[in-house]
This record gives sequence, C-alpha cells and structure tokens, in this order.
Amino acid sequence: MKNWAGTTYGNEWMHKWLIRMLRYIDVRLLYLFAAVFIIPVCLLLNPSCGFAYRFFRQRFGYGRLKSAWKTYVNHCLFAGAVIDKFAMYAGKKFDIEIEGGDHFRDLAERQEGFVLLSAHIGNYEIAGYTLVCQNKRINALVYAGEKASVMKNRDRMFAATNTRMIAISQDMSHLFEIDKALADGEIVSMPADRSSGSQKYILHDFLGAKARFPLGPFSASRVHLLNVLAVNVMKTSLRRYKIYVTPLPYDRSATREEQIRQLSSAYVAELERRVRQYPTQWYNYFEFWEEIES
Amino acid sequence: MEQLINDLKVQIKEALHLEELQLEDFDENTPLFGEDGIGLDSIDILEIVVLLEKEYGIRMSNPKEGKAIFHSVRTIAEYVQKVKSE
Repeated sequence: MKNWAGTTYGNEWMHKWLIRMLRYIDVRLLYLFAAVFIIPVCLLLNPSCGFAYRFFRQRFGYGRLKSAWKTYVNHCLFAGAVIDKFAMYAGKKFDIEIEGGDHFRDLAERQEGFVLLSAHIGNYEIAGYTLVCQNKRINALVYAGEKASVMKNRDRMFAATNTRMIAISQDMSHLFEIDKALADGEIVSMPADRSSGSQKYILHDFLGAKARFPLGPFSASRVHLLNVLAVNVMKTSLRRYKIYVTPLPYDRSATREEQIRQLSSAYVAELERRVRQYPTQWYNYFEFWEEIES
Repeated sequence: MEQLINDLKVQIKEALHLEELQLEDFDENTPLFGEDGIGLDSIDILEIVVLLEKEYGIRMSNPKEGKAIFHSVRTIAEYVQKVKSE
C-alpha cells in the first residue's frame, strides 16, 4: 500500500502570491488559466495522468477518447479544488449544501466523542469550515509534511471553527493525541483511503476489483466504541459544494476484527457510491488496485 | 513488579489476539514494536492504551512520552507503577 507525501503542490512563495491574487480576482479566471495553460503541461509531465486514465478505463470501462477527456476534466477539477482551498484562505465564500447534517448535529450534542472518516475525493477541507461544533473540538489528522504556508493558513482559518490539527508523527504521538481527544469527548477527523503509518490493510471489493484500505483509521475508530460518520465533500458547480454525511454502522458487541470489517465495508460502500456519482473527483493518483491485480 | 509484568503480558496477548506468541517466549524487555521485537505496530498501540485505561484506570497525560512508555512490557509496567504510586 502506498504512502503519500502529504503536501500541496508548489512552494510557499507561490502559495502566498496565489492567496494575494485571489483576494482581488475572480476564481473563475484562475480555473480558466489552469485549464488552458497548466493542466495540459501537467498531463504531459506528471504520472498522475496515467493513473487517472487507467482509473477511467479500468474502473469505469470508458473508451480511450472518453477516458482521455475525463482525465483532463479530473485534473481541471483537482486544480479547482486546490484553487478553492486557497480562495477560502483569501476570504472567498462558497455555497455549501449539506446532506445528512442531522447526523453530525445529533452526535455533536451528545457527551461522547465521535469520528469523521474522509477520503481524497472532492474537497474535504471545505467541511472543516462548515461542519463546526462550538461545544466539541474537532481534531483533524493531517500529514506532517504539508507546506508551512498551508499549515499557517489552516491554523488561522481553523482557529475560528474550534478545530485543531494533529500532525502524523514518527514518534506515534498522534495516536495518543487521537485517543486522548476521543476519550475527552471530542471529534477526530481522518482520511481512511490512504495509509498514514501502519502498513496493515484490509481488502475490499471497490469499483469492481480488490483494493487495499488501511486498517488504522477503522481500528482507531472502534477502539472506544464510538459513532463513526463518513464525510465526503463534492463540488457540484463552480461556486457550490455538497457535503455528504453518512453514519457507518457496526456491531459494538462484535470482535475487534469483525468491527473493523463492518466499519470498513460501510466506508467503502459509501465511498463507491460517491465516486460513481462524481467519477471525475477521484484524486488518488497512484495505483490503488495495482498490487492486487498484477 | 514481576506480578504486574506477568499480568500485562497476559492482558496484551489477549487484547491483541497474539495466539502464536507463547508467554514463556514473551520477554518483558523485548521491544513491542518493530522487526527486532514482537512486531506490533501503530494500530496495536491504541489497544494497549485502552487496556491501561480499562484495567488500571490510567490515561496518558503526555502524548510525547508514548513511544518511550510503550517500548516494552517492562517500560509499561514501570509507568503503571509510577502513576499508581503518585
């Protein structure tokens, strides 16, 4: 299973200028600039092109031409997601629709903590500014290698939303922080589609083939027998996002292995549902199914 | 201390379903994590954290100390004893 370096493309200087620009210009101009000048170059130079193309060919069975077009659209949307993230840092607002928000609000009112499991589809960071809970802190697990400019802006934006970041650390201190947060009745948010430490995995049928999903997030989710929600944030139009909040059920009296199997199955089923709904917003640019199929 | 170490060995073995690990081969000084030791990884550590909470009423106060505390069964036992005596 692949690890991800966990960093936004570009250097800090580029990020600062992007934020400054976005304060004054319309994001649509940047979408257009990226679509015309940046994405074609990226498609030629970046291996993500091949991963995305094979994703559409093999997982969706599209023809060559359609897969090539979808690969281009996928990269434009990915660039758009990055631009939107920086647009939010620059103070821009997006229209947000929430499906299943009652599940979040219901759990937020309870005394015990709960877990949010995300994926690298759509634009999850938008949820961090929308699903806010004043009486419970949200602890977001993030990759420690992220650029300082991104971390600084996240800190600034999250400060207003009762959210803090826990960086994945070599000394495993993030595990103890996750445990402490959950034991203290807080919310923990983490991605569950990529490995972030342990290499242990569970196999699931996903989009027609076996894929490996990391055990860690599911194991950590069930350790205090708390409620777990899948949260996926998908772009529905130029200025609009839709947040999908879905409970992931599991049997609290089952064995540890069975709980992990049930949780991960529910997570994968929800992920497949969203990816089938928004196939061009799949941003895992590595061979998700490679090792199993070879 | 020896009783605590033995109890911890049994509890860890049961909590993590380490059926193949014989208690007599479970040395209290062997590292719990990594290839040179028992071979546990970060997923297992949370199970041990919860075990300490349930069995001994101990919660980690400083996450930065975690790696040193969970180095081996002996270091866990020393930590339990230290917290209990405070």
